Amino acid sequence: MSMVLRLAWRNAWRNSRRTGIVVTAVAIGISGTLLTMAVNFGMVFQMVETAIENEVGHLQIHARGFDENPELAVRLVDGGRESIALLEHEEGVRAFSRRVRGEGLLSSPRASAGVRVLGIEPEREGRVTRIAASVVEGSYLDGDGRRLLLGRELARRLEVGVGDKVVLSVQDLSGELTGEALRVAGLFDTASQALDRSTIFMQLGASQALLGLDHSVSEVVAVADSRDQVDRLRRELSAALPGAEVRSWEQLQPLLVYMVDVFDQSAWMIYAAVFVAMAFGIANVLLMTIYERTREIGIMRAIGFGRGRLVATIVVEALVVTFVGLLVGFVGALIGVYLLRDGIDLSGMAEGLEYLGVGTRIVPVLRTSDFTTPLAVAAVTAFVASAWPAWRAVRLRPAEAVRHT
Amino acid sequence: MAILEAEGLSKVYETRGVVTPALHDIDLAIEEGEFTALSGPSGSGKTTLLNLFGGLDTPTAGTVRLDGQALEELSASELSDLRLRKLGFVFQAYNLIPVLTAAENIEFVMELQGVPTAERRARAEALLKDVELEGLGDKRPLEMSGGQQQRVAVARAIASQPRVVLADEPTANLDSGTAGRLLELMERMNGERGVTFLFSTHDPLVISRARRNVQLHDGRVLSDGALSDR
Repeated sequence: MSMVLRLAWRNAWRNSRRTGIVVTAVAIGISGTLLTMAVNFGMVFQMVETAIENEVGHLQIHARGFDENPELAVRLVDGGRESIALLEHEEGVRAFSRRVRGEGLLSSPRASAGVRVLGIEPEREGRVTRIAASVVEGSYLDGDGRRLLLGRELARRLEVGVGDKVVLSVQDLSGELTGEALRVAGLFDTASQALDRSTIFMQLGASQALLGLDHSVSEVVAVADSRDQVDRLRRELSAALPGAEVRSWEQLQPLLVYMVDVFDQSAWMIYAAVFVAMAFGIANVLLMTIYERTREIGIMRAIGFGRGRLVATIVVEALVVTFVGLLVGFVGALIGVYLLRDGIDLSGMAEGLEYLGVGTRIVPVLRTSDFTTPLAVAAVTAFVASAWPAWRAVRLRPAEAVRHT
Repeated sequence: MAILEAEGLSKVYETRGVVTPALHDIDLAIEEGEFTALSGPSGSGKTTLLNLFGGLDTPTAGTVRLDGQALEELSASELSDLRLRKLGFVFQAYNLIPVLTAAENIEFVMELQGVPTAERRARAEALLKDVELEGLGDKRPLEMSGGQQQRVAVARAIASQPRVVLADEPTANLDSGTAGRLLELMERMNGERGVTFLFSTHDPLVISRARRNVQLHDGRVLSDGALSDR
């Protein structure tokens, strides 16, 4: 085998200019593809992170039936105490918080808007989501139950600012219409348009009183130390809480999961397209080299170099060229990602990006699979690209090949 | 027993409907240890006969036996293995693998035979000394003269300890002095190691160095005889 490797390596660099061109083509192709992937995945990654960090968390615990019928009546009547008792001692849980989830109409003297009402525990919620850090005017919620947070976009529509009074009208648990005047404590601005346009945050106790929930809560939200822990935590909590629904962010946001899947599948298609193009280039170069080395191949065959070794040499030569190109491409992509580590400013497309739940600065993200997938595809490419040249080489008749000039 | 035998050997080339007879009903036996020239003008069938003896081509009719083994009974891979173990080849020019050094070219066949690294290094070194190229083992073919390359080719041909070395016009591209030294080398290898040499040539000077000359003309044996007791 060492002979095959030695011959393949040296043959690959025999015409260094020609090999250099192929390596450069592979490198540019792969680094360009990887950078595109990194930016695209950076966007998808940010969508997932935005969803997790702004509201969804890694796990949510609801009363059984909430998934099918997410109404006030389907609630954790113990106020989430059982869940919290478990979460406090569960390994891998970073933070958790209780919430009330309802709907209402928020009115200012000039306009009204339908809103989602989230009653939160301000201090705990601040550890679970980034809502506290997203406050751009005024202040975050404190102990005063008559204050609320709303998105800057919603505030603009209602023409209200920090300190202004608004009226929140809701239908409580018993079906009665009720309402309360609240003062705007602060305005938040997140990467999620849905959150900024139609969600308000108020204190848990105040929301429970307004919605007639007594001590009940709609959900307990938790974040894990890392995403790798989520499945395990979901299984363990589900087993320990038979009367509740424990769902992961993937179950809560299937559209995001679908987008990640689509992204992964499209990545394969992009790699396939790029590598098919590369395969033709590599095959062309190999065919030229086989033609140039016809006499040499004839001599090698004459002195006992078998067909198997000949095929192996050609395949390994294709692998050498492809993998050197791949390696250079990886380095190029890593340098590109490093240079773009502060993100790409897409503020010109802010509105569209916020609609998707993405911020205006996209930081490219490379995953391990971005390196392993091209490795696998490149190996297949090298095999495919070398198949025809190898077939041509083994079909050479030594007696004719040694006379080739 | 003859080491190489041709019996009723014929070869006809056919390219795009054009039929070209190359050999007609050749009967020839080469005994072990011979130093034989195949002579004749261009197109007389020398290279074709060498290719058939080396299993590089297949006859249209007749049989070739190497060490008693009929070559037509062997598969491609068996032929390849037979060439590796029993035959050495020296071609007219550009004999060597350009990406390998002189020493690596000599080791090449031994590596194919599975000779351990240390042993093949030692044997390659000894062979380089034998062909008077000591110290040039690290040179690549392009860094060597034509004569030096042919010497390496002879060293490679005998490195596998073959029964027969087939050489197709080995001196054709060399000046007379270099050709003479190459012939001396082949004679020495024949004398000292007992390797059978069968080489094609149309150079009278080279023919005169052979102990037996088989003269071909238009694909037939015109004459076959010992030249001298050298």
